[in-house]
Amino acid sequence: MKKIGNLVLGVVTSIGGFVEVGSISTAAQAGSEFGFALLWAVGAAGIMLAMLVEMSGRIASISRQTIAGAVRERFGFHFQAVPLSAELLTDVLLLAAEIGGVGIALRLLTGIGFQWWIVPAAAIAWLILWFGNFTAIEDGVGLLGLVTLSFVVAAWRLHADPAALGRGLIPSVPSHDGVRFAFLAVSILGATVSPYLLNFYASGAVEEDWSAQDLWINRTTAFAGMGFGAIVSMGVLVTAALTLAPRQIRVDSYEQAALMFVPAFGRWGITLFALALGVGCLGAAVEIALNAGYLVAQAFNWTWGVEKKRADTARFSAACTGVLILGAAVAVAGFDPLRITLVSLAMTVMIMPLVVLPFLVLMNDKRFVKEHTSGAIGNVVLAVLVLLGALFAVVVVPLEVFGGG
Amino acid sequence: MDLVRDLLDQPVVDRDGCAMGRVDGILLEVREDAPPRVVSIAIGPAVLGERLHRTVGRWIRGIEVACGVAEGRPVEIAITAVTVVNGKVHVDVAAGDTAAPAVEQRVRGWVRRLPGA
Repeated sequence: MKKIGNLVLGVVTSIGGFVEVGSISTAAQAGSEFGFALLWAVGAAGIMLAMLVEMSGRIASISRQTIAGAVRERFGFHFQAVPLSAELLTDVLLLAAEIGGVGIALRLLTGIGFQWWIVPAAAIAWLILWFGNFTAIEDGVGLLGLVTLSFVVAAWRLHADPAALGRGLIPSVPSHDGVRFAFLAVSILGATVSPYLLNFYASGAVEEDWSAQDLWINRTTAFAGMGFGAIVSMGVLVTAALTLAPRQIRVDSYEQAALMFVPAFGRWGITLFALALGVGCLGAAVEIALNAGYLVAQAFNWTWGVEKKRADTARFSAACTGVLILGAAVAVAGFDPLRITLVSLAMTVMIMPLVVLPFLVLMNDKRFVKEHTSGAIGNVVLAVLVLLGALFAVVVVPLEVFGGG
Repeated sequence: MDLVRDLLDQPVVDRDGCAMGRVDGILLEVREDAPPRVVSIAIGPAVLGERLHRTVGRWIRGIEVACGVAEGRPVEIAITAVTVVNGKVHVDVAAGDTAAPAVEQRVRGWVRRLPGA
Protein backbone atom coordinates (compact mmCIF):
# COMPACT_ATOMS: atom_id res chain seq x y z
CA MET A 1 0.00 0.00 0.00
CA LYS A 2 2.91 2.29 0.86
CA LYS A 3 4.40 1.58 -2.56
CA ILE A 4 1.12 2.50 -4.26
CA GLY A 5 1.11 5.75 -2.27
CA ASN A 6 4.71 6.44 -3.34
CA LEU A 7 3.78 5.67 -6.92
CA VAL A 8 0.87 8.10 -6.94
CA LEU A 9 3.03 10.73 -5.29
CA GLY A 10 5.81 10.08 -7.83
CA VAL A 11 3.43 10.49 -10.76
CA VAL A 12 1.86 13.63 -9.29
CA THR A 13 5.22 15.23 -8.56
CA SER A 14 6.43 14.38 -12.06
CA ILE A 15 3.49 16.37 -13.45
CA GLY A 16 4.29 19.26 -11.15
CA GLY A 17 7.99 19.13 -11.96
CA PHE A 18 7.54 18.89 -15.73
CA VAL A 19 6.63 22.45 -16.57
CA GLU A 20 9.24 25.16 -16.27
CA VAL A 21 10.45 28.22 -18.08
CA GLY A 22 11.59 26.43 -21.25
CA SER A 23 8.45 24.39 -21.81
CA ILE A 24 6.16 27.34 -21.06
CA SER A 25 7.98 29.75 -23.37
CA THR A 26 8.39 27.37 -26.32
CA ALA A 27 4.83 26.02 -26.10
CA ALA A 28 3.44 29.56 -25.77
CA GLN A 29 5.43 30.73 -28.80
CA ALA A 30 4.40 27.67 -30.80
CA GLY A 31 0.71 28.15 -29.97
CA SER A 32 0.67 31.89 -30.61
CA GLU A 33 2.40 31.56 -33.99
CA PHE A 34 1.20 28.24 -35.41
CA GLY A 35 -2.00 27.38 -33.55
CA PHE A 36 -2.25 23.67 -32.75
CA ALA A 37 0.17 22.68 -35.55
CA LEU A 38 3.06 21.87 -33.18
CA LEU A 39 1.08 19.74 -30.69
CA TRP A 40 2.71 16.64 -32.20
CA ALA A 41 6.17 17.99 -31.28
CA VAL A 42 5.16 18.26 -27.61
CA GLY A 43 3.72 14.73 -27.72
CA ALA A 44 6.76 13.22 -29.47
CA ALA A 45 9.19 14.98 -27.11
CA GLY A 46 7.14 13.77 -24.12
CA ILE A 47 7.35 10.15 -25.30
CA MET A 48 11.12 10.46 -25.88
CA LEU A 49 11.59 11.96 -22.41
CA ALA A 50 9.47 9.26 -20.77
CA MET A 51 11.55 6.53 -22.46
CA LEU A 52 14.85 8.09 -21.39
CA VAL A 53 13.62 8.72 -17.85
CA GLU A 54 12.46 5.09 -17.59
CA MET A 55 15.91 3.93 -18.75
CA SER A 56 17.67 6.22 -16.24
CA GLY A 57 15.54 4.77 -13.47
CA ARG A 58 16.16 1.22 -14.69
CA ILE A 59 19.94 1.65 -14.63
CA ALA A 60 19.73 3.21 -11.15
CA SER A 61 17.41 0.53 -9.79
CA ILE A 62 19.44 -2.41 -11.09
CA SER A 63 23.03 -1.21 -10.70
CA ARG A 64 22.49 1.46 -8.01
CA GLN A 65 24.45 3.65 -10.39
CA THR A 66 23.45 7.02 -11.71
CA ILE A 67 23.98 8.03 -15.32
CA ALA A 68 27.03 10.20 -14.58
CA GLY A 69 28.74 7.42 -12.64
CA ALA A 70 27.86 4.75 -15.19
CA VAL A 71 29.13 6.87 -18.10
CA ARG A 72 32.49 7.48 -16.38
CA GLU A 73 32.90 3.78 -15.64
CA ARG A 74 31.77 2.51 -19.02
CA PHE A 75 33.28 5.13 -21.33
CA GLY A 76 36.11 6.63 -19.29
CA PHE A 77 36.89 10.23 -18.47
CA HIS A 78 38.02 11.17 -21.99
CA PHE A 79 34.51 10.60 -23.30
CA GLN A 80 32.79 12.03 -20.26
CA ALA A 81 34.76 15.29 -20.10
CA VAL A 82 32.93 16.86 -23.05
CA PRO A 83 29.29 16.07 -22.12
CA LEU A 84 30.01 16.74 -18.45
CA SER A 85 31.40 20.22 -19.18
CA ALA A 86 28.64 20.96 -21.68
CA GLU A 87 25.93 19.79 -19.30
CA LEU A 88 27.31 21.90 -16.46
CA LEU A 89 27.45 24.96 -18.72
CA THR A 90 23.89 24.26 -19.88
CA ASP A 91 22.81 23.84 -16.25
CA VAL A 92 24.19 27.30 -15.41
CA LEU A 93 22.32 28.89 -18.34
CA LEU A 94 19.12 26.98 -17.55
CA LEU A 95 19.43 28.06 -13.93
CA ALA A 96 19.77 31.67 -15.02
CA ALA A 97 16.64 31.25 -17.15
CA GLU A 98 14.67 29.59 -14.33
CA ILE A 99 15.72 32.18 -11.73
CA GLY A 100 14.84 34.86 -14.29
CA GLY A 101 11.46 33.12 -14.68
CA VAL A 102 10.84 33.37 -10.92
CA GLY A 103 11.82 37.05 -11.14
CA ILE A 104 9.36 37.65 -13.98
CA ALA A 105 6.61 35.87 -12.01
CA LEU A 106 7.26 38.10 -9.00
CA ARG A 107 7.34 41.15 -11.26
CA LEU A 108 3.90 40.20 -12.60
CA LEU A 109 2.64 39.88 -9.02
CA THR A 110 4.25 42.99 -7.54
CA GLY A 111 5.14 45.33 -10.42
CA ILE A 112 8.74 45.56 -9.13
CA GLY A 113 11.38 44.94 -11.85
CA PHE A 114 12.48 41.31 -12.22
CA GLN A 115 16.19 42.05 -11.64
CA TRP A 116 15.35 42.99 -8.04
CA TRP A 117 13.96 39.50 -7.49
CA ILE A 118 16.93 37.51 -8.82
CA VAL A 119 18.93 37.41 -5.59
CA PRO A 120 15.88 36.68 -3.34
CA ALA A 121 14.74 33.95 -5.78
CA ALA A 122 18.19 32.33 -5.79
CA ALA A 123 18.28 32.59 -1.98
CA ILE A 124 14.91 30.82 -1.68
CA ALA A 125 16.10 28.07 -4.05
CA TRP A 126 19.27 27.68 -1.96
CA LEU A 127 17.31 27.52 1.31
CA ILE A 128 15.11 24.75 -0.14
CA LEU A 129 18.04 22.64 -1.28
CA TRP A 130 20.12 23.34 1.83
CA PHE A 131 17.47 22.55 4.43
CA GLY A 132 15.29 20.02 2.58
CA ASN A 133 15.84 16.29 2.12
CA PHE A 134 15.17 14.59 -1.22
CA THR A 135 11.60 13.60 -0.41
CA ALA A 136 10.72 17.09 0.85
CA ILE A 137 12.29 18.72 -2.20
CA GLU A 138 10.77 16.36 -4.77
CA ASP A 139 7.32 16.08 -3.20
CA GLY A 140 7.05 19.66 -1.96
CA VAL A 141 8.16 21.22 -5.21
CA GLY A 142 6.14 18.73 -7.25
CA LEU A 143 2.92 19.21 -5.29
CA LEU A 144 3.22 22.99 -5.41
CA GLY A 145 3.89 22.58 -9.12
CA LEU A 146 0.39 21.20 -9.57
CA VAL A 147 -0.62 24.84 -9.93
CA THR A 148 0.69 24.41 -13.49
CA LEU A 149 -2.39 22.25 -14.13
CA SER A 150 -4.12 25.60 -14.51
CA PHE A 151 -2.81 25.56 -18.10
CA VAL A 152 -4.93 22.46 -18.74
CA VAL A 153 -7.91 24.05 -16.97
CA ALA A 154 -7.47 27.16 -19.12
CA ALA A 155 -7.44 25.09 -22.31
CA TRP A 156 -10.55 23.24 -21.09
CA ARG A 157 -12.44 26.44 -20.27
CA LEU A 158 -11.65 27.87 -23.69
CA HIS A 159 -13.45 24.94 -25.40
CA ALA A 160 -10.82 23.82 -27.88
CA ASP A 161 -12.19 22.01 -30.93
CA PRO A 162 -11.33 18.29 -30.42
CA ALA A 163 -11.03 17.65 -34.17
CA ALA A 164 -8.54 20.51 -34.54
CA LEU A 165 -6.58 19.21 -31.55
CA GLY A 166 -6.49 15.78 -33.19
CA ARG A 167 -5.14 17.28 -36.41
CA GLY A 168 -2.44 19.05 -34.40
CA LEU A 169 -1.17 15.72 -33.13
CA ILE A 170 -0.34 14.64 -36.69
CA PRO A 171 2.99 16.09 -37.95
CA SER A 172 2.41 18.57 -40.74
CA VAL A 173 4.28 21.13 -42.84
CA PRO A 174 3.24 24.74 -42.23
CA SER A 175 1.98 27.01 -44.99
CA HIS A 176 4.19 29.88 -43.78
CA ASP A 177 7.48 30.50 -41.93
CA GLY A 178 8.87 26.98 -42.36
CA VAL A 179 12.22 27.86 -40.75
CA ARG A 180 10.55 29.36 -37.69
CA PHE A 181 8.29 26.28 -37.47
CA ALA A 182 11.32 23.97 -37.53
CA PHE A 183 13.12 26.14 -34.99
CA LEU A 184 10.19 25.93 -32.58
CA ALA A 185 9.83 22.17 -33.10
CA VAL A 186 13.51 21.68 -32.20
CA SER A 187 13.19 24.12 -29.27
CA ILE A 188 10.23 22.13 -27.91
CA LEU A 189 12.38 19.00 -28.04
CA GLY A 190 15.20 20.83 -26.22
CA ALA A 191 12.81 22.19 -23.60
CA THR A 192 11.27 18.78 -22.96
CA VAL A 193 14.17 16.32 -23.15
CA SER A 194 16.30 18.12 -20.57
CA PRO A 195 19.43 16.15 -19.65
CA TYR A 196 19.20 17.42 -16.07
CA LEU A 197 15.91 15.56 -15.61
CA LEU A 198 17.54 12.24 -16.51
CA ASN A 199 20.40 12.33 -14.03
CA PHE A 200 18.21 13.97 -11.39
CA TYR A 201 15.66 11.17 -11.71
CA ALA A 202 18.34 8.45 -11.53
CA SER A 203 19.94 10.14 -8.51
CA GLY A 204 16.53 10.23 -6.84
CA ALA A 205 16.11 6.51 -7.48
CA VAL A 206 19.46 5.86 -5.76
CA GLU A 207 18.62 8.26 -2.89
CA GLU A 208 15.29 6.46 -2.39
CA ASP A 209 16.95 3.04 -2.51
CA TRP A 210 15.10 1.65 -5.51
CA SER A 211 15.92 -1.92 -6.49
CA ALA A 212 14.89 -4.38 -9.22
CA GLN A 213 11.59 -4.83 -7.36
CA ASP A 214 10.77 -1.19 -8.01
CA LEU A 215 11.04 -1.42 -11.81
CA TRP A 216 7.25 -1.32 -12.23
CA ILE A 217 7.09 1.82 -10.07
CA ASN A 218 9.84 3.29 -12.24
CA ARG A 219 8.04 2.44 -15.47
CA THR A 220 4.70 3.78 -14.28
CA THR A 221 6.19 6.97 -12.81
CA ALA A 222 8.19 7.64 -15.98
CA PHE A 223 5.39 7.10 -18.49
CA ALA A 224 2.38 8.34 -16.48
CA GLY A 225 4.25 11.27 -14.87
CA MET A 226 5.95 12.47 -18.04
CA GLY A 227 2.83 11.73 -20.09
CA PHE A 228 0.63 13.89 -17.86
CA GLY A 229 3.42 16.49 -17.76
CA ALA A 230 3.37 16.62 -21.57
CA ILE A 231 -0.39 17.21 -21.37
CA VAL A 232 0.29 20.29 -19.21
CA SER A 233 2.74 21.54 -21.87
CA MET A 234 0.06 20.90 -24.48
CA GLY A 235 -2.28 22.95 -22.28
CA VAL A 236 0.12 25.90 -22.58
CA LEU A 237 0.25 25.53 -26.36
CA VAL A 238 -3.52 25.18 -26.74
CA THR A 239 -4.25 28.12 -24.44
CA ALA A 240 -1.79 30.31 -26.36
CA ALA A 241 -3.28 29.15 -29.67
CA LEU A 242 -6.82 30.02 -28.57
CA THR A 243 -6.05 33.35 -26.93
CA LEU A 244 -2.91 34.90 -28.43
CA ALA A 245 -2.96 33.60 -32.04
CA PRO A 246 -6.38 35.16 -32.96
CA ARG A 247 -5.12 38.53 -31.70
CA GLN A 248 -1.81 38.01 -33.54
CA ILE A 249 0.15 38.46 -30.33
CA ARG A 250 3.63 36.94 -30.67
CA VAL A 251 5.27 35.92 -27.42
CA ASP A 252 8.34 38.17 -27.32
CA SER A 253 8.29 38.36 -23.52
CA TYR A 254 6.78 36.55 -20.58
CA GLU A 255 4.48 39.51 -19.96
CA GLN A 256 2.82 38.79 -23.30
CA ALA A 257 2.60 35.09 -22.48
CA ALA A 258 0.76 35.97 -19.26
CA LEU A 259 -2.07 37.51 -21.29
CA MET A 260 -3.13 34.03 -22.40
CA PHE A 261 -4.78 33.39 -19.02
CA VAL A 262 -6.98 36.50 -19.04
CA PRO A 263 -9.73 35.14 -21.36
CA ALA A 264 -9.94 31.93 -19.29
CA PHE A 265 -9.63 33.27 -15.75
CA GLY A 266 -10.50 36.97 -16.02
CA ARG A 267 -8.87 39.28 -13.49
CA TRP A 268 -7.20 36.34 -11.71
CA GLY A 269 -5.53 35.31 -14.96
CA ILE A 270 -2.25 37.20 -14.56
CA THR A 271 -1.93 36.14 -10.89
CA LEU A 272 -2.52 32.49 -11.73
CA PHE A 273 -0.07 32.63 -14.64
CA ALA A 274 2.54 34.23 -12.38
CA LEU A 275 2.04 31.53 -9.74
CA ALA A 276 2.32 28.73 -12.29
CA LEU A 277 5.42 30.28 -13.86
CA GLY A 278 7.04 31.14 -10.52
CA VAL A 279 6.47 27.78 -8.84
CA GLY A 280 7.43 25.82 -11.98
CA CYS A 281 10.66 27.81 -12.38
CA LEU A 282 11.58 27.69 -8.68
CA GLY A 283 11.16 23.92 -8.63
CA ALA A 284 13.23 23.54 -11.77
CA ALA A 285 15.95 25.83 -10.35
CA VAL A 286 16.28 23.66 -7.25
CA GLU A 287 16.39 20.48 -9.34
CA ILE A 288 18.98 21.90 -11.77
CA ALA A 289 21.27 23.10 -8.97
CA LEU A 290 21.00 19.71 -7.30
CA ASN A 291 21.64 17.95 -10.57
CA ALA A 292 24.83 19.93 -11.15
CA GLY A 293 26.06 18.78 -7.74
CA TYR A 294 25.04 15.20 -8.50
CA LEU A 295 26.84 15.28 -11.86
CA VAL A 296 30.18 16.42 -10.49
CA ALA A 297 30.04 14.32 -7.32
CA GLN A 298 29.12 11.14 -9.18
CA ALA A 299 31.70 11.69 -11.94
CA PHE A 300 34.43 12.01 -9.32
CA ASN A 301 32.91 9.63 -6.74
CA TRP A 302 32.57 12.18 -3.95
CA THR A 303 30.12 11.43 -1.16
CA TRP A 304 26.76 12.85 -2.29
CA GLY A 305 23.09 12.94 -1.41
CA VAL A 306 20.57 15.37 0.04
CA GLU A 307 19.52 12.76 2.59
CA LYS A 308 22.92 13.21 4.27
CA LYS A 309 24.11 16.12 6.40
CA ARG A 310 25.52 18.92 4.28
CA ALA A 311 28.84 18.85 6.15
CA ASP A 312 29.17 15.13 5.35
CA THR A 313 28.79 15.88 1.64
CA ALA A 314 30.79 19.09 1.69
CA ARG A 315 32.04 19.13 -1.92
CA PHE A 316 28.66 18.04 -3.28
CA SER A 317 26.81 20.69 -1.25
CA ALA A 318 29.36 23.34 -2.24
CA ALA A 319 29.02 22.36 -5.93
CA CYS A 320 25.22 22.79 -5.80
CA THR A 321 25.65 26.17 -4.11
CA GLY A 322 28.38 27.29 -6.51
CA VAL A 323 26.33 26.50 -9.61
CA LEU A 324 23.32 28.28 -8.11
CA ILE A 325 25.46 31.38 -7.49
CA LEU A 326 26.82 31.24 -11.06
CA GLY A 327 23.30 30.92 -12.49
CA ALA A 328 22.09 33.84 -10.38
CA ALA A 329 25.12 35.89 -11.50
CA VAL A 330 24.24 35.32 -15.17
CA ALA A 331 20.60 36.23 -14.46
CA VAL A 332 21.51 39.33 -12.48
CA ALA A 333 23.74 40.52 -15.34
CA GLY A 334 20.50 41.68 -16.92
CA PHE A 335 20.21 39.42 -19.96
CA ASP A 336 16.67 39.01 -21.28
CA PRO A 337 15.30 35.86 -19.56
CA LEU A 338 13.47 34.72 -22.71
CA ARG A 339 16.71 35.04 -24.74
CA ILE A 340 18.70 33.07 -22.14
CA THR A 341 15.98 30.41 -22.21
CA LEU A 342 16.22 30.03 -25.99
CA VAL A 343 20.04 29.90 -25.93
CA SER A 344 20.02 27.29 -23.16
CA LEU A 345 17.47 25.22 -25.10
CA ALA A 346 19.64 25.40 -28.23
CA MET A 347 22.61 24.20 -26.14
CA THR A 348 20.49 21.37 -24.74
CA VAL A 349 19.70 20.20 -28.26
CA MET A 350 23.35 20.47 -29.30
CA ILE A 351 24.57 18.21 -26.49
CA MET A 352 21.67 15.77 -26.87
CA PRO A 353 23.53 13.19 -29.00
CA LEU A 354 26.32 13.04 -26.40
CA VAL A 355 23.73 12.53 -23.66
CA VAL A 356 21.60 9.96 -25.49
CA LEU A 357 24.35 7.88 -27.16
CA PRO A 358 25.61 6.39 -23.85
CA PHE A 359 22.08 5.15 -23.11
CA LEU A 360 22.22 2.99 -26.22
CA VAL A 361 25.33 1.25 -24.90
CA LEU A 362 24.46 1.19 -21.19
CA MET A 363 21.00 -0.24 -21.80
CA ASN A 364 22.59 -3.21 -23.57
CA ASP A 365 25.42 -3.79 -21.08
CA LYS A 366 24.56 -6.54 -18.61
CA ARG A 367 27.08 -5.09 -16.14
CA PHE A 368 24.62 -2.24 -15.57
CA VAL A 369 21.15 -3.61 -16.27
CA LYS A 370 21.68 -7.38 -15.94
CA GLU A 371 18.85 -9.21 -17.74
CA HIS A 372 16.81 -5.99 -18.09
CA THR A 373 18.50 -4.91 -21.32
CA SER A 374 16.53 -2.94 -23.89
CA GLY A 375 14.52 -4.85 -26.47
CA ALA A 376 14.62 -4.31 -30.23
CA ILE A 377 12.00 -1.54 -30.11
CA GLY A 378 13.82 0.32 -27.34
CA ASN A 379 17.11 0.08 -29.22
CA VAL A 380 15.61 1.25 -32.51
CA VAL A 381 13.93 4.22 -30.83
CA LEU A 382 17.17 5.13 -29.04
CA ALA A 383 19.17 4.83 -32.27
CA VAL A 384 16.65 7.07 -34.05
CA LEU A 385 16.86 9.53 -31.18
CA VAL A 386 20.66 9.61 -31.42
CA LEU A 387 20.47 10.23 -35.19
CA LEU A 388 17.76 12.86 -34.77
CA GLY A 389 19.75 14.45 -31.97
CA ALA A 390 22.87 14.59 -34.17
CA LEU A 391 20.84 16.10 -37.03
CA PHE A 392 19.24 18.68 -34.73
CA ALA A 393 22.64 19.49 -33.22
CA VAL A 394 23.91 20.37 -36.70
CA VAL A 395 20.88 22.43 -37.71
CA VAL A 396 20.18 24.16 -34.40
CA VAL A 397 22.67 27.00 -34.89
CA PRO A 398 21.44 27.90 -38.41
CA LEU A 399 17.87 27.65 -37.11
CA GLU A 400 18.78 29.84 -34.13
CA VAL A 401 20.23 32.43 -36.52
CA PHE A 402 17.49 32.35 -39.18
CA GLY A 403 14.45 31.25 -37.21
CA GLY A 404 15.02 32.40 -33.67
CA GLY A 405 14.47 36.09 -34.12
CA MET B 1 41.93 -8.23 -15.89
CA ASP B 2 41.45 -5.53 -18.52
CA LEU B 3 43.10 -2.51 -16.90
CA VAL B 4 41.12 0.11 -18.82
CA ARG B 5 37.77 -1.67 -18.52
CA ASP B 6 38.02 -3.06 -14.99
CA LEU B 7 40.33 -0.67 -13.13
CA LEU B 8 40.64 2.77 -14.73
CA ASP B 9 37.85 5.22 -13.77
CA GLN B 10 36.27 2.76 -11.32
CA PRO B 11 35.28 3.98 -7.84
CA VAL B 12 37.76 3.35 -5.04
CA VAL B 13 36.52 2.27 -1.62
CA ASP B 14 38.72 2.14 1.48
CA ARG B 15 38.80 -0.64 4.07
CA ASP B 16 35.92 1.01 5.98
CA GLY B 17 33.72 1.34 2.90
CA CYS B 18 34.37 5.08 2.50
CA ALA B 19 34.52 6.59 -1.00
CA MET B 20 38.06 7.64 -1.94
CA GLY B 21 37.44 8.94 -5.44
CA ARG B 22 38.07 7.05 -8.64
CA VAL B 23 41.09 5.39 -10.23
CA ASP B 24 42.28 8.42 -12.14
CA GLY B 25 45.53 6.85 -13.29
CA ILE B 26 47.44 3.59 -13.31
CA LEU B 27 51.22 3.57 -12.83
CA LEU B 28 53.08 0.93 -14.80
CA GLU B 29 56.71 -0.14 -14.49
CA VAL B 30 58.22 -0.80 -17.89
CA ARG B 31 60.79 -3.57 -17.69
CA GLU B 32 63.32 -4.54 -20.36
CA ASP B 33 62.97 -8.30 -20.45
CA ALA B 34 59.47 -8.70 -19.09
CA PRO B 35 55.98 -7.34 -19.69
CA PRO B 36 55.07 -4.04 -18.00
CA ARG B 37 53.93 -4.42 -14.42
CA VAL B 38 51.23 -2.46 -12.59
CA VAL B 39 52.82 -0.68 -9.64
CA SER B 40 50.02 1.43 -8.23
CA ILE B 41 46.76 3.25 -8.83
CA ALA B 42 46.60 7.04 -8.59
CA ILE B 43 43.74 9.20 -7.34
CA GLY B 44 43.53 12.95 -7.82
CA PRO B 45 42.27 15.60 -10.22
CA ALA B 46 45.80 16.50 -11.35
CA VAL B 47 46.25 12.96 -12.72
CA LEU B 48 42.87 13.18 -14.38
CA GLY B 49 43.76 16.55 -15.88
CA GLU B 50 47.01 15.14 -17.22
CA ARG B 51 45.03 12.48 -19.06
CA LEU B 52 43.29 15.28 -20.96
CA HIS B 53 46.42 17.37 -21.51
CA ARG B 54 49.67 17.94 -19.62
CA THR B 55 48.83 21.64 -19.26
CA VAL B 56 45.45 20.89 -17.68
CA GLY B 57 47.21 18.64 -15.17
CA ARG B 58 49.73 21.39 -14.37
CA TRP B 59 46.95 23.95 -13.85
CA ILE B 60 45.11 21.67 -11.46
CA ARG B 61 48.33 20.95 -9.61
CA GLY B 62 48.91 24.72 -9.36
CA ILE B 63 45.43 25.24 -7.92
CA GLU B 64 46.05 22.49 -5.36
CA VAL B 65 49.33 24.14 -4.33
CA ALA B 66 47.67 27.57 -4.09
CA CYS B 67 44.88 26.14 -1.91
CA GLY B 68 47.37 24.34 0.32
CA VAL B 69 46.03 20.85 -0.37
CA ALA B 70 48.83 19.56 -2.60
CA GLU B 71 50.78 17.63 0.02
CA GLY B 72 50.50 13.88 -0.51
CA ARG B 73 48.49 14.34 -3.70
CA PRO B 74 47.94 12.69 -6.07
CA VAL B 75 47.35 9.73 -3.81
CA GLU B 76 49.17 6.61 -4.95
CA ILE B 77 48.06 3.23 -3.64
CA ALA B 78 50.27 0.20 -4.25
CA ILE B 79 48.57 -2.44 -6.35
CA THR B 80 49.34 -4.93 -3.59
CA ALA B 81 46.87 -3.01 -1.39
CA VAL B 82 44.04 -3.62 -3.88
CA THR B 83 42.00 -6.46 -2.37
CA VAL B 84 38.92 -6.86 -4.58
CA VAL B 85 37.88 -5.46 -7.97
CA ASN B 86 34.18 -6.03 -8.55
CA GLY B 87 32.83 -2.88 -10.13
CA LYS B 88 34.42 -1.06 -7.20
CA VAL B 89 38.11 -1.11 -6.36
CA HIS B 90 38.45 -2.11 -2.71
CA VAL B 91 41.75 -1.16 -1.11
CA ASP B 92 43.23 -2.18 2.23
CA VAL B 93 43.98 1.42 3.16
CA ALA B 94 42.19 3.91 5.43
CA ALA B 95 41.21 7.01 3.46
CA GLY B 96 42.07 9.14 6.50
CA ASP B 97 45.71 7.96 6.39
CA THR B 98 46.06 9.45 2.90
CA ALA B 99 45.58 12.90 1.39
CA ALA B 100 42.48 11.70 -0.51
CA PRO B 101 39.98 13.52 1.75
CA ALA B 102 42.07 16.74 1.97
CA VAL B 103 39.81 18.80 -0.30
CA GLU B 104 36.60 17.42 1.26
CA GLN B 105 37.93 18.35 4.71
CA ARG B 106 38.94 21.83 3.57
CA VAL B 107 35.50 22.46 2.04
CA ARG B 108 33.82 20.93 5.11
CA GLY B 109 35.48 23.61 7.23
CA TRP B 110 33.72 26.27 5.12
CA VAL B 111 30.40 24.43 4.91
CA ARG B 112 30.25 23.92 8.70
CA ARG B 113 30.10 27.69 9.16
CA LEU B 114 26.72 27.76 7.44
CA PRO B 115 23.53 27.12 9.43
CA GLY B 116 21.90 23.74 8.99
CA ALA B 117 25.09 22.05 7.77
